[in-house]
Amino acid sequence: MTSEPILSVIDVTKRFTVGQRVVTAVDGVSFDVAEGECLAVVGESGSGKSTIANMILGLYPPSEGSLIFRGRDLPERRTLELRRQIQLVQQNPLSSLNPRRSIAASLRLALDVHGYGAPAERPGIIEDLLAEVGLDPHLARRSPAGLSGGQRQRVAIARALACRSDLIVLDEPTSALDVIVQARVLRLLEELRRAHGLTYIFITHDLSVVRNVADRVAVFQRGKLIEFAATARIFEDPGTEYTRSLISAIPVVSEEEAALRDSLARAGVP
Amino acid sequence: MTAQDTLDIQNLRLSFRNWSGSVEVLHGIDLRIARGERVALVGESGSGKSVTARIVLGTMQETPGARVSGRILFGGRDLDAMSRTERRAVRGTAMSMIFQDPTTALNPVYRIGTLVHEVLKRREPAITAEEARRRGGDILREVSIDDPERVLDSFAFQLSGGMNQRVMIAMSLINEPQLLLADEPGTALDVTVQAQTLKLMRDLVESHGTSVLFISHNLGVVREFADRIYVIYRGRIVERGPTAAIFEDPRHPYTRALLAAIPRLTGGGIPEIAERSDSFLAPMVAHEEVMG
Repeated sequence: MTSEPILSVIDVTKRFTVGQRVVTAVDGVSFDVAEGECLAVVGESGSGKSTIANMILGLYPPSEGSLIFRGRDLPERRTLELRRQIQLVQQNPLSSLNPRRSIAASLRLALDVHGYGAPAERPGIIEDLLAEVGLDPHLARRSPAGLSGGQRQRVAIARALACRSDLIVLDEPTSALDVIVQARVLRLLEELRRAHGLTYIFITHDLSVVRNVADRVAVFQRGKLIEFAATARIFEDPGTEYTRSLISAIPVVSEEEAALRDSLARAGVP
Repeated sequence: MTAQDTLDIQNLRLSFRNWSGSVEVLHGIDLRIARGERVALVGESGSGKSVTARIVLGTMQETPGARVSGRILFGGRDLDAMSRTERRAVRGTAMSMIFQDPTTALNPVYRIGTLVHEVLKRREPAITAEEARRRGGDILREVSIDDPERVLDSFAFQLSGGMNQRVMIAMSLINEPQLLLADEPGTALDVTVQAQTLKLMRDLVESHGTSVLFISHNLGVVREFADRIYVIYRGRIVERGPTAAIFEDPRHPYTRALLAAIPRLTGGGIPEIAERSDSFLAPMVAHEEVMG
């Protein structure tokens, strides 16, 4: 990690108008994302974690506050270059991949939009991408329906990587997958991060995944950032009652883990 | 032994006819649930766990192209020997099911109170609306809903996912079924809500003496719920035994992979696990069972 953050979120608030009511989805949130780290963003549904991600991606601007990417304000209208640098992998690849388009065509579109590589080289780039995410090249001609859930998610990851992005927002990337497939995709993500110096914002509600993949953790509750610390610290000494309640809900598979979980859950109880 | 079992599945096979012949997806499943026992059936998507529940419920048999063979004894009675009407009468009364996503499982155009009344009518056709409302209120209180009156007057979409899940649990138990089929209950919910509902469900089935077939893809979720576990892989049971034995002494390569794949709260990173392996097709391992 270098001292210069790749992204700074400064006093960001987002309000939505729902009918007559104003809902504050994100409420005065500030944090930095270090270059090359995996930052986990955790919280329950409605905590504002996806709203933060959508603002980082430029789907809508903050109501207040600012987002600084590599020292410069992220504009409301993103340039093509900024969109190339910040990419997204969503939870369900069945809805994030076009069902009518072959895998090769979906990847090709990303390259074409960003003008990445000379047109004649693009088929070769696609082949390399598939190899990099561990997919057989003969799958390229298939449509998403012809792939398993894990393979589809690998395609979505390949597409996010296609144009050598720097920051990838992973929105529950493995929660729709079987546990063995999840483990394999998590390992792939880790290898890719190391190989390309990527930065991840990893949105999830699964704290046992967080424990094993994240460098730091941001805990959100009802639009507020209530805890932000190194992963080891969160799991040794959770600082808020809410974080403890999240930890206490983790399903575990061994006595050792159950003992740790129960001691952490009890830690704050007087 | 068999006469006391709530459910006894013997050599269950399921195949689908298609243009080239037929494809078998369940290759002879044997599974037993004693009275009041909580049994988990764990496997990945496509392993055959959900279709097994649907066969027990009797809905799979009505699917065009599906061919089911084997024997299913429910409380000692052969389900195949029952008429269609008898089977329908069993569903929702002696046997009920909870689905993964509670919000889509509840009919959005009726209030919860009406839905509860409908369920009660399956067992007692003459029950009055007032009586149904009183019984509905009682069972909603049992699932820790503090203001049952408001919930009975609400539509499913007006309630949170966790609240709908509780309503589903309440409705599935209101007719005092002998068997509850739970297909990944709460997977669509937040972890904290899921943990709460699982605990609630456990307490409830324990106090009512209900037998449960709990279907899940994650061994971690069933550890604190099930008495016994069956691990299913590609239409075959690969390991079965008491919950403690499965977790402390997993013997089948697939069960080991399934356990190793779960990220640990104690850390240590994500291990390298093969997605497919010939060893996963090894013969079934059965642990010694101590039956009460």
